[in-house]
Amino acid sequence: MIYLDCAATSFQKPESVHRAVAKALKTMSSPGRGSYQYAMRAADTVFDCRSALAELFHVPTPENVVFTCNATHALNIAINSLVSAGDKVVISGYEHNAVTRPLHAIGADVHIAASELFDPEAAIAAFARELPGAKAAVCCHVSNVFGYILPVERIAALCRTEGVPLIIDASQSAGSIPIDFTALGAAFAAMPGHKGLLGPQGTGVLLCAAEAKPFLFGGTGSESASPTMPAYLPDQLEAGTHNVPGIAGLLAGTQWVNEMGPQRILEHERRVSELFLDRISGVPNVQVYRAKRSYVQTGVISVRIEGLDCEMAAQRLSEAGICVRSGLHCAPTAHRTVGTIDTGTIRFSISPFNTEHEINRASMIFREIVR
Amino acid sequence: MQYILMCKSLTYAQRSARTLERAGITSTVSKAPPKTSKNGCAYCIKVSARVRAEALSILNSAGIPPARVYRMSDDGTLQEDET
Repeated sequence: MIYLDCAATSFQKPESVHRAVAKALKTMSSPGRGSYQYAMRAADTVFDCRSALAELFHVPTPENVVFTCNATHALNIAINSLVSAGDKVVISGYEHNAVTRPLHAIGADVHIAASELFDPEAAIAAFARELPGAKAAVCCHVSNVFGYILPVERIAALCRTEGVPLIIDASQSAGSIPIDFTALGAAFAAMPGHKGLLGPQGTGVLLCAAEAKPFLFGGTGSESASPTMPAYLPDQLEAGTHNVPGIAGLLAGTQWVNEMGPQRILEHERRVSELFLDRISGVPNVQVYRAKRSYVQTGVISVRIEGLDCEMAAQRLSEAGICVRSGLHCAPTAHRTVGTIDTGTIRFSISPFNTEHEINRASMIFREIVR
Repeated sequence: MQYILMCKSLTYAQRSARTLERAGITSTVSKAPPKTSKNGCAYCIKVSARVRAEALSILNSAGIPPARVYRMSDDGTLQEDET
């Protein structure tokens, strides 16, 4: 099988991740629940993972790195911390349901700063128009459908000027694009642990620079006599038992990313995706969503095939050993912005482990299916 | 005799211990004795009497001063250290 669905989850992971998860299951219990060696070993692993993530994303202190179940959980915490019913919230035209559904559930007054695909200047202009009077803004760093890298640094600067706290959804960028959370000056950044950071599913991270509200209430192993959650991070947002095997795997994944460097990973993904784009561009009846300037696109590529619906195409690719995702990718807002809401797209997403040989084979099979 | 430096949370205790470790001071992270905490479960780091002053100075400089300090005698008796 050739795995080209790392935008959903990283299936291929460094061996160190597999080993770390297995070791945690055998040797670690729950942090914050005792001073015995199994608990303290778990606590050390969790702390080491916080510290590694703080280093990778330039967060000043490890306690501002909060573990969650996934990016959706992290986004729910961030959004519920900043937004109340009726509040004006500005979002990009490329947001995932992990952003739009919590806002809808709260009853926020959502304004979409819609802009053309792969046009950063248009995105900045759209945010500049919409931001005045907003209570918060949410922007994905990279579209999970089109791989479009939004200009979050400049959008963050606009938000700072307007005094609007910004939540960054780094689901598709964490681990594969350098991120300096402190320099961005965002209120929160949410990310999964299982995509670019190469950890196991069931891990997520919230980087916090603003006051947060607990989203889940329960035991933290601290201030146990109090009926309220501790008022400090990370305990305030981490109720219940930690996913220690997951966090151990995430630590190994983060260390791998730290050693490789996100910029090098991005360059690999770009090189491989450029090869794929070259191979499939020009195929009759295929519409490829490719940026004219490669610096605004990652290794996530969407295509449509005239006369072949995306689910059927993905099924045929699957039967030929190619793993891709099809449909709306839980991001109807992005599809409405680009005009693909009625058809969806087939999405190929490149990981640090994909080789040129795999891309050559995948593109050959794709051409055969389209023919 | 040991000193117990009370920390806001397990994470702060770990950060304190790592900060001291980088300065060459050995400490132990552990759950705090019940008498030291009004709100139930808490964490602390334990240091020897010999390094108490230096440890406090380092933690203060790092912006993570302990919430309270206790002197623990060899028989386990605790006394708050307010110096």
